[in-house]
Amino acid sequence: MKILFLAFATCFAFTANDKITGRWESKPSQKGNVTGVVFKTDNSLEGYVNRKPFVSGTYSFNIEDSTLSFVDNGCNGAKGTYKVMFYHNSDSLRFSVISDSCNGRREGMERLIMGKVK
Amino acid sequence: MKKLVIISTAIAAIIFIRATTKNSPIDKESLGRILFSDPILSKDSTVSCASCHRPEHAFADTSAVSLGVERKKGLRNTPMAMNLLLANSFFWDGRAKTLEEQALAPIANPNEMNLPVEEAVYRLQHNKKYVAYFKEAFNSEASKTNLSAAIAAFERTLETAESPFDNWKFSDDSTAVSAEVKRGFALFNGKGNCVKCHFGSDFTANEFRNIGLFNGKNLNDSGRSIVSGKADDIGKFKTSSLRNIAITSPYMHNGMFKTLDEVIDFYNDTRKIVPNAINKDSLLVKPLGLTLQNKKDLKAFLISLTDKRFKQ
Repeated sequence: MKILFLAFATCFAFTANDKITGRWESKPSQKGNVTGVVFKTDNSLEGYVNRKPFVSGTYSFNIEDSTLSFVDNGCNGAKGTYKVMFYHNSDSLRFSVISDSCNGRREGMERLIMGKVK
Repeated sequence: MKKLVIISTAIAAIIFIRATTKNSPIDKESLGRILFSDPILSKDSTVSCASCHRPEHAFADTSAVSLGVERKKGLRNTPMAMNLLLANSFFWDGRAKTLEEQALAPIANPNEMNLPVEEAVYRLQHNKKYVAYFKEAFNSEASKTNLSAAIAAFERTLETAESPFDNWKFSDDSTAVSAEVKRGFALFNGKGNCVKCHFGSDFTANEFRNIGLFNGKNLNDSGRSIVSGKADDIGKFKTSSLRNIAITSPYMHNGMFKTLDEVIDFYNDTRKIVPNAINKDSLLVKPLGLTLQNKKDLKAFLISLTDKRFKQ
């Protein structure tokens, strides 16, 4: 029974992260810049601009309320929590701030619209 | 018959030359590349942009200050002219707001190329090659505006994103870098405090900081305050990108450090090198307490930011 529960829990955890796991990218901005992020299965994340890494961190994603919480190396360890809104069969997403004391990051996150890179 | 063969060969050669010439259309980026390396833009036609922004050194120079026309010494270390696409100010003191504005300044600077921009434009308007190139790239004759546009367009192509660090982080290749590099990156973000100023895809937050290299005596370049007029900006300089930093020595606005080891030692305890600094950033007041191994790891991380195009 314990094994069955563990197997179920593992499967659920995988499904929970799976919705956001992977590489997401914006369309080129007016200046041609492409912003992207990779949410990895080990709960680490890597953000980049024009294929240049610019932020590393760790995240957790709650599938029930679509909440993303993360810390990265750019905001003095401050945690950001965002509601993730998925569109088009979860092929694209955008973020709405729940709490983030890091103003620069919040402004950047709320502007982002990204599509899943397949 | 022999005559016919010679004539036919000559015609074929002309057609071939024309065809191959047509295969090299000039756009503003390639025109900028040509101008960047052409000493025509200096007073005595001896110095080009590339004389100081040396391509093999990530478009930086290897001497503390560069030599301009008549071997005149510049006032500050030549900054890298690479990875500027996301920059929002240029020169150590940020006096230019755009790459276009930046591109013309060294041409006119008496210590650098010492050629009034109007005269540079006149030269280009009367040079057969450039008349054709400007016509093709801009459909007009050379002007101050399209001269700066061409050089800026070329500089915008100088982006690098294929270092071992990039391969580790962007391509998720954990074997692209050593354990030393990974520890160095952790130090960069933690104990070393480096990320506070060198945050971003080019490892600069594009801010101005006083790192403790102003004492009003032997170190008396006021930096940003010359531009802003603010006393608070005394001794502040633009934070450099760290991309390709291993091949751009010497370092700092005055080129006073010859190696990355010297730079790391300086940041570890700035007071040991400049005990009487004025207006130093609060981030650098306390010594970092880096061990010898920490320093090696940080250096390995910095070297990992070298793009593959510069590998021997």
